[in-house]
Amino acid sequence: MASNKKYWKSVEELNENSSIVEKLQKSEFIEDLPTDKFLGDKESLSNSDTSRRDFLKYVGFSTAVASLAACEGPVINSIPYVVKPDDVIPGIPDFYASAIADGYDFANVLVKVREGRPIKIEPNKEAANGFTNARVQASVLSLYDNNRLRGPMAKGEETDWAALDKEVGAQLADIKAKGGRIVFLTGTTASPSVHALIGSFNEAYGNVEHVVYDAVSEDAALNAFEKMYGHRALPDYHFDKADVIVSVAADFLGDWQGGNFSAGYAAGRKPKNGKMSRLIQFESNMSLTGGNADKRVIVKPSEQLKVMQMLYAAIVEGKSVGNATPVEDAVQKALVQIKKAGSKAVVVTGIQDENAQLLALAINHALQSQAIDVVSTKNIRMGDDSKVAQLVKDMNSGAVSAVFLYNTNPAYTLPNGSAFVEGLEKVGLSVSFASVMDQTAEMCQYVATAPHYLESWGDVEIKKGHYSLMQPTIHPLFNTRQFQDTLLKWAGSDQSYYDYLRAMWETNVLGGKSWNKALHDGSFKVGTEEQELTLNEVDLAAANVALSSAGDSEMEITVYVKTGLGDGQQANNPWLQELPDPITRTSWDNYLLISRIDAERLGIKNWTVDNGALNGNLVNVTANGVTMNNVPAYVQPGQAPGSVSLALGYGRTDLKKDMKVGVNAYPLAGSAYHEVSIEKAEGVHEFACVQLQHTIMGREGEILKETTLEDFVNKPVEEWNHAPVFSLDHQEVTQDKVDLWEPFDDTIGTKFNLSIDLATCTACAACIVACHAENNVPVVGKHEIRVSRDMHWLRVDRYYSSDMTVERGKEEGIFGSGDFFEAQTHPSDAPEVSFQPVMCQHCNHAPCETVCPVAATSHGRQGQNQMAYNRCIGTRYCANNCPYRVRRFNWFKYANNNEFDFNMNNELGRMVLNPDVVVRSRGVMEKCSFCIQKTQLTILNAKKEGRAVADGEFETACSSACPNGSLVFGDVNDKESKVAHLSEDDRTFKLLDFVGTKPNVFYQLKVKNTNEA
Amino acid sequence: MKVLLQSNSLKKILASLSFLFLFSFNLSAQEGDYANGKKLFNANCAACHKLDKKLIGPALGGVTERRDNEWLQAWIKDNNALRASGDQDAIDVFNEYNGMVMTAYPQLSEQDINDILVYTNGEPEEAPATAAVTQEVDPKVAAGKKLYQVHCASCHKLDKKLIGPALGNVADRRSMEWLKAWIKDNNALRASGDQDAIDIFNEYNGMPMTAFPQLSDEDIEAIIAYTSVGDVAPVAAAAGEEVIAQPRHPIPWMTYVVILAIAGLVAWIYFVSNNGFLKISATIFVLILVGYIGLNALMDLGIDQDYQPIQPIAFSHKIHAGDNKIDCQYCHSTAKHSKHSGIPSVNVCMNCHKSIAEYNGPVTSERDKEFYDAEIQKIYDAIGWDPENLTYIEGYEEKPIQWVRIHNLPDFAYFNHAQHVTAGGIACQKCHGPVEEMEDMYQYSPLTMGWCIECHRETSVDLKGNDYYAKIHAQLADKYGVEKVTIAQIGGLECGKCHY
Repeated sequence: MASNKKYWKSVEELNENSSIVEKLQKSEFIEDLPTDKFLGDKESLSNSDTSRRDFLKYVGFSTAVASLAACEGPVINSIPYVVKPDDVIPGIPDFYASAIADGYDFANVLVKVREGRPIKIEPNKEAANGFTNARVQASVLSLYDNNRLRGPMAKGEETDWAALDKEVGAQLADIKAKGGRIVFLTGTTASPSVHALIGSFNEAYGNVEHVVYDAVSEDAALNAFEKMYGHRALPDYHFDKADVIVSVAADFLGDWQGGNFSAGYAAGRKPKNGKMSRLIQFESNMSLTGGNADKRVIVKPSEQLKVMQMLYAAIVEGKSVGNATPVEDAVQKALVQIKKAGSKAVVVTGIQDENAQLLALAINHALQSQAIDVVSTKNIRMGDDSKVAQLVKDMNSGAVSAVFLYNTNPAYTLPNGSAFVEGLEKVGLSVSFASVMDQTAEMCQYVATAPHYLESWGDVEIKKGHYSLMQPTIHPLFNTRQFQDTLLKWAGSDQSYYDYLRAMWETNVLGGKSWNKALHDGSFKVGTEEQELTLNEVDLAAANVALSSAGDSEMEITVYVKTGLGDGQQANNPWLQELPDPITRTSWDNYLLISRIDAERLGIKNWTVDNGALNGNLVNVTANGVTMNNVPAYVQPGQAPGSVSLALGYGRTDLKKDMKVGVNAYPLAGSAYHEVSIEKAEGVHEFACVQLQHTIMGREGEILKETTLEDFVNKPVEEWNHAPVFSLDHQEVTQDKVDLWEPFDDTIGTKFNLSIDLATCTACAACIVACHAENNVPVVGKHEIRVSRDMHWLRVDRYYSSDMTVERGKEEGIFGSGDFFEAQTHPSDAPEVSFQPVMCQHCNHAPCETVCPVAATSHGRQGQNQMAYNRCIGTRYCANNCPYRVRRFNWFKYANNNEFDFNMNNELGRMVLNPDVVVRSRGVMEKCSFCIQKTQLTILNAKKEGRAVADGEFETACSSACPNGSLVFGDVNDKESKVAHLSEDDRTFKLLDFVGTKPNVFYQLKVKNTNEA
Repeated sequence: MKVLLQSNSLKKILASLSFLFLFSFNLSAQEGDYANGKKLFNANCAACHKLDKKLIGPALGGVTERRDNEWLQAWIKDNNALRASGDQDAIDVFNEYNGMVMTAYPQLSEQDINDILVYTNGEPEEAPATAAVTQEVDPKVAAGKKLYQVHCASCHKLDKKLIGPALGNVADRRSMEWLKAWIKDNNALRASGDQDAIDIFNEYNGMPMTAFPQLSDEDIEAIIAYTSVGDVAPVAAAAGEEVIAQPRHPIPWMTYVVILAIAGLVAWIYFVSNNGFLKISATIFVLILVGYIGLNALMDLGIDQDYQPIQPIAFSHKIHAGDNKIDCQYCHSTAKHSKHSGIPSVNVCMNCHKSIAEYNGPVTSERDKEFYDAEIQKIYDAIGWDPENLTYIEGYEEKPIQWVRIHNLPDFAYFNHAQHVTAGGIACQKCHGPVEEMEDMYQYSPLTMGWCIECHRETSVDLKGNDYYAKIHAQLADKYGVEKVTIAQIGGLECGKCHY
């Protein structure tokens, strides 16, 4: 049925005469489309050979080709060696003994090398200094630093070695002819061969001086020791031999005098026969040592000098001291204990003041302390500040003809860095032996680019008579040449440094013993004949008087070093930047630590924003004639009122974009403290904290258990380590009687357990970086940390104590109310600190396993809670159901992603990845696996050799990195194993035991020696 | 690089169809399928048995002539039970092979076993005259060839200089007496002042030849006879012998007939028939068919079974592992130590190819001697070996060989060769198939997780004799009351064992 109805689009159409209607009938659009704007002008378009039809053909063809090309799988090539080296078996790691000696960290290490690439640093436990801290563990990533120089540089341009040798050689000849002065400014090398080389360089050129400079200087301690014992060195300390340790601002569990004291300290912390050591710490900023101390006394930096004087007066001079103030009272109590312990006491100080250091030496001498070793001295800090200051002056006056800089970055680390730079411009020849274009190398005429220590030969005498060898573990990645090789060349020798080193060792060190054996072991001990030590007459009274003259000021600033960055030479290492500070639990920053009282006075606040992250005010800091603007302020519980602290190692300007964080505190270094004025600045700083400053909220018995030595010795175990009880049929029963889960038999075969001793764990964080390296844990960056997306499989929780106890709450009548809990969240102004490493607890009755909708996480017969990444669909239900908050979700693809421009985003940085562990992709959950790749390898090796696995063979990355032996891993079904014994120890408890998850990780509670008498 | 793939999708569609419609038509099934038998044999038996010779167990060629089918079925399914039943034959075999227990295969069906037995009887139909026509060879020459290969071949070739001079027709150049004296003790000959002997010694840079006093005069005469006659060139193989181009899973012709018939039927229903019910049925049928095929195709994504890329060197496993019986682990030497089996480095090739510069084995029309010789030359190009002067070229820039990797596991799956080869004692062929028969290597197994798991479920772990298992064996035996446990029973199915 046809219709005659007329449809119209606009009223205009009804008007038959309208021109618009006519036009519309011919064309779709009233106006011409502006095709020339996107297709070019009409003329060229109509002249074009490409018709619309052709265009469609091209589109169709390219689409078809693209989809066809995508159908074919990628072709993967396998490229074997042409001539395979005998000692390389693809898939089997080789371990080489070496040593790190970067001027700040000195240690004997084993380097794990897979297919020619170093991928992991392990402590060389058979050597005397076989301890690794977080920075040593992370140093393998610095080898693959994308910022490293690819070859030698001349005046900012790339050059080659021949040209460099020629140019520098000519200038050196010139200087020699004129008798000019050549200065080597190096960090502490502690290397006998380097000293000998500089000696021979002197023979070749004459007028050569070697100035040693440490960024984080121990000049005061070295000067004091030199005065007292006649040579420049640091005494060694054996804290395991001490019953009473009194430390005045010495962070000896951190990096004080080169560190590596924690193993000795830990040895004295396990109660044996009712005895353990007692640590009394006098300090202003909360250090790792302060956090671990049995008694921490808050003392301003200027008052710390007085504490030293009091200790000196009482112990050496035999005077009595007052007890008017709380500090004096604490000193007096400490003195009683020191006197009781006699030679089993030791006093150490970290005050950067020669007189204070002298007093400490005098006190230990007077005590005849067994813990101090002034014979086998350490060589790991040799910097001489006065010589450096003189050098800067000489450079500026034009008295220096050439300066060679090795292992040092004074333009960044010197308090008067700008004066140094000015002086450098006046020096005729300046050569840096850096491996990156750091702030000093930038100012030098030449950079004779040196390799990383893992690519180098070398030797180091960490401690008198304890020699170590450094050997290359990879072919140099870039066109680099060792400092020593360059020196030999410029001194006119044809010898390679390897030949030089070997010859030197064979004549001077080895004494007929095998070079190969020493190289294999990585260390060599030379027996030193007992020598009678001459004690110089030192005017201690004058030193004492000099200390009194130090005035105190209203606000004092000290600098300190953080566990992660240390002196800052590895600041481009993302593992270290992301490592949360054990005390503040903050990463990617340094900040001004300030006490609550001062913060309130200055109107400075830290607050939590709605995504759970921490924000804080900025301040302007003026001290030592320098003003630093917009320094973030962090309110630190336990900071001495009237004092602030700022960490070194940050604020380097030569780093990758994401690493340029924090402010440079070096202008304030080089003295015990400075007077400081602080004013609040505009603006807000965003911190990247992984844990806020909260307390444990009175749940001491559930999360963390601690007891005192007194209770531990005198009371039954139930009182200080009680198991949770439940009411079942109105009967009190223990946790194993009430269980939601079906029991299963786990007594056959291997069953892994991990024991963590909180008494000996000092929260040094070596385990965290070791875990990072072993398990390809990604770095996520500051922003992601802020939004609680950190990926650390292993964390070390830090809890502060609160002043609001249940008793006090009841007394004040607020117990049970909201006020009580609010008060409990605030840490005390003088808090006690507890540390607790937490990783996946590998629950036998795991809440995560039961909720996974796809069974991606399941329980292994060996006790491991296994995570199949390829099966995970990312519901995050497991993380939600985990009582320990140890599961980590990959919110992004962290590898090969420009948004996360860290080591996994470049070819070089990816070389550090462990090929036995998969790199997780976006959208999957991950967590600690108990290093299943390591345990499986151990089992396989035993199977191949047809033998049982011996106790101690099973290790995780964290347990093998722990310098204190706090983490013990093993087979708990092997009743003879260490971990099986530990599991039955009285101090053993499980985290949140009342939940009934039956974890395979257990803890040994911390015993504090609170005995004041 | 271009990759040679068989037309997989078509094959899969056809295979699916044949599965759907042909199982009832399959006439040959009851008699035993040679191809299937071969596959099963390689998967289950080849680790211990060969057809033509004793390996760990007896040779199985023509076993059906020695035993009846019923006995064989019983034996293969559970030889322990058969022995326990007092069968004398079974006990005899057991004793003959030193009381070594053969694995039981309860999982094999009767048809499977029949297939295997068909395979052990050899090719179903004789290929036309495959053997090269051999000429009559003088027994003396044959003996000489054998001796030559044992004593002389490592330093001499017939037609060219190797370490020593070419020996072809040496009898024309020297007297037999001289040769005998030289071969038995060339030092003594030189010491006697023989000028020829001294000249040769000097010509070859004073390298003394090993003395062979143990060779008798007859032996030497035989060797010399061989050097005069040389190798008898094999007559070119018959064209029908070529096997390279044949697909590995031939599609029976019946499939095509049935597909055509069904397609015709569907077309008839749609275009000719007016029956609505038939049309609906046909539509449902087509939809189900398309769905089934589509799902199958999707399930096969990422499975590269039969992947056979073109390699930079046409390396023939058949020649090396098959014809020359080189042990797999001679080249893949890291398989016993490491997770990687290791592709041999060029210096391993050179262990043999220093003296083997040309190929003298059987050839096909596609791959003749020149072809293989050119492939050997590629090794020399990689490492810089000068086959004329028999030296490595000084300062040569080595060119690593870029093999195309065939067996690719995804990153998230951890596989360790040593675990299977050393600890498990599994033959390479179990997963890699009959490598010794592969002219070009291909992926024999699907390498899917299901395939791994299946083996872990079925394979028993030999807990005895390995002290690692000493404790757990006693405990397990106590708990389950069993002598043997499968890999699954000791945790071989746990996710975390392979995924980390």
